[in-house]
Amino acid sequence: MFPELPWYRCLDALSVTLLLFGLAIFFSLPTLRGSGRDLDYWENARRFLARFFPPDFSVTPQVLTALAETAQIAVLATAGALVLSFPLGLAGARTLSPRWLVTLARLALNVTRTVPSLLWALIAVAIVGANPLAGVLGLTAYSVGYLGKFFSDAFESVDLDVARGLRAIGASRIQAFQHGVWPHTRPLIWSYALWMLEYNLRSAAIIGYVGAGGLGVLLHGYQEYHAWDRFCAVLVFILGLVTVLDLLGEWVRRKVTKRAARAPA
Amino acid sequence: MNRRASPTSPAADAGSAATHTPAPTSTASAASFASVPSAAVPSAAAASTRATARSDDAHILVSGLGVRRAERWLFHDLTLTVPRGAFVAIVGPSGAGKSTLLACLAGALAPGEGEIRFRERSGRLVAPEHCRPRIGCVFQRLLLVENSSVLANVLCGRLGRHRWWQTLFGAPRAEREAAFAIVADLGLAPHTHRWVAELSGGEQQRTAIARALFQEPDLYLADEPISNLDTYLTGRVLGRLRQEAAQQGRTVFCVLHDPTLVDRFADLVVSIDPTDPHGWRVRPVRR
Repeated sequence: MFPELPWYRCLDALSVTLLLFGLAIFFSLPTLRGSGRDLDYWENARRFLARFFPPDFSVTPQVLTALAETAQIAVLATAGALVLSFPLGLAGARTLSPRWLVTLARLALNVTRTVPSLLWALIAVAIVGANPLAGVLGLTAYSVGYLGKFFSDAFESVDLDVARGLRAIGASRIQAFQHGVWPHTRPLIWSYALWMLEYNLRSAAIIGYVGAGGLGVLLHGYQEYHAWDRFCAVLVFILGLVTVLDLLGEWVRRKVTKRAARAPA
Repeated sequence: MNRRASPTSPAADAGSAATHTPAPTSTASAASFASVPSAAVPSAAAASTRATARSDDAHILVSGLGVRRAERWLFHDLTLTVPRGAFVAIVGPSGAGKSTLLACLAGALAPGEGEIRFRERSGRLVAPEHCRPRIGCVFQRLLLVENSSVLANVLCGRLGRHRWWQTLFGAPRAEREAAFAIVADLGLAPHTHRWVAELSGGEQQRTAIARALFQEPDLYLADEPISNLDTYLTGRVLGRLRQEAAQQGRTVFCVLHDPTLVDRFADLVVSIDPTDPHGWRVRPVRR
């Protein structure tokens, strides 16, 4: 006779979390009650969005300058985060570092990640003033939280026996890392770095709201003066930037990880 | 010819010494050796000179080696003297402890009892963990860097000869050419710059062998290096290893299963019996 599983064996982690999520949805529904006032939502939306059109592209020169500044902020922040995340990622990899260091590094990374990028930018503005440097510092701090975690996970995913094999034939620790661990993590790290660059470009467009340079400064200004048509022009440029980046990032990532993906598990 | 005849005598000595005398090292000293390697070196040297009083060309001296897995000894009191340039086949059924013996010889595993010493060409006796760059390994699981090219993997063979900053930006041209010569010799020339992950099992195995050959070690430890190779390549690889042993004096330990290959290539056979820890035997191969 076919050995039937008892009913409670169906309660694996997936179905339990799914059930909990369903309950969570139910208990979250009260959030949707709105303000209680009698508003015509459609009319509101129509009236507000109508002010966005047609976009006022007379601001293109300023936008392009700000766009360049946004890109500069994102590039520097990503580069800074890469440099800082590498040692932190090593320290946070359970397979490579002693326990106390892992705990410390992971705690630091979690704290960094918990603070939103806008808040990091605000802190940086308070320290260095309202200029693009604040943007670079703020985004660097935020990115380190993410990249450090990704790098730790990447280092942990490597089969260390290869490095041990190199150690057995005389390689030093550093050599075993460079030749035994790094080739496996390199594609992962590059694709994370590209993802972070994309993310930072999007963030850099926003953090100007707190004065940290880039497109956000323009957005904030146009919002203050209710110049929604210009605001919309900026949004169009951001949309273009993100789309181009997305396509470019996808293409590069495919090139970088193509051979890694083909490796047998 | 001389070299072919010579393994017979020390090996026979070793075999008889093992059966007639108790283990040269007590359990206590073996334990202290495992924990404090440097402190135990003088006594180890003394023990080894005793074992090899008459064989100056002895390369590897194994005395009283015992390894325990769970509650059972895989082998016990294994004593063996191998002359420089011998081809030693390790045989025995699966699970007998062949790979474990190789791991001990590589210095990757501290044996429960006994000790292993290598006589360097200068005459000095050293423990395996202190001369890793001169031990070449072909691991059973190969342990290649899959996301690197064949050439890069082969170049890893000589990492132990350099300090880390010397290998940071790649190997010098001369080394790359030497590595390519070995790659080509094993028929891997068309794959030189392909990633190991893209190769077939046999090609990967040859890459691992090429890495060991490129290392030019004093001692080869090969764990079933021909398991994925066809007859032609088997002869080629084992022939190359045999040639390394006979002409360069690089001793070879090789786990083999096929008795005809053992008869064709080996000078000495170490057989391990999974049912009896004292059932290991060392015998010369007569041709």
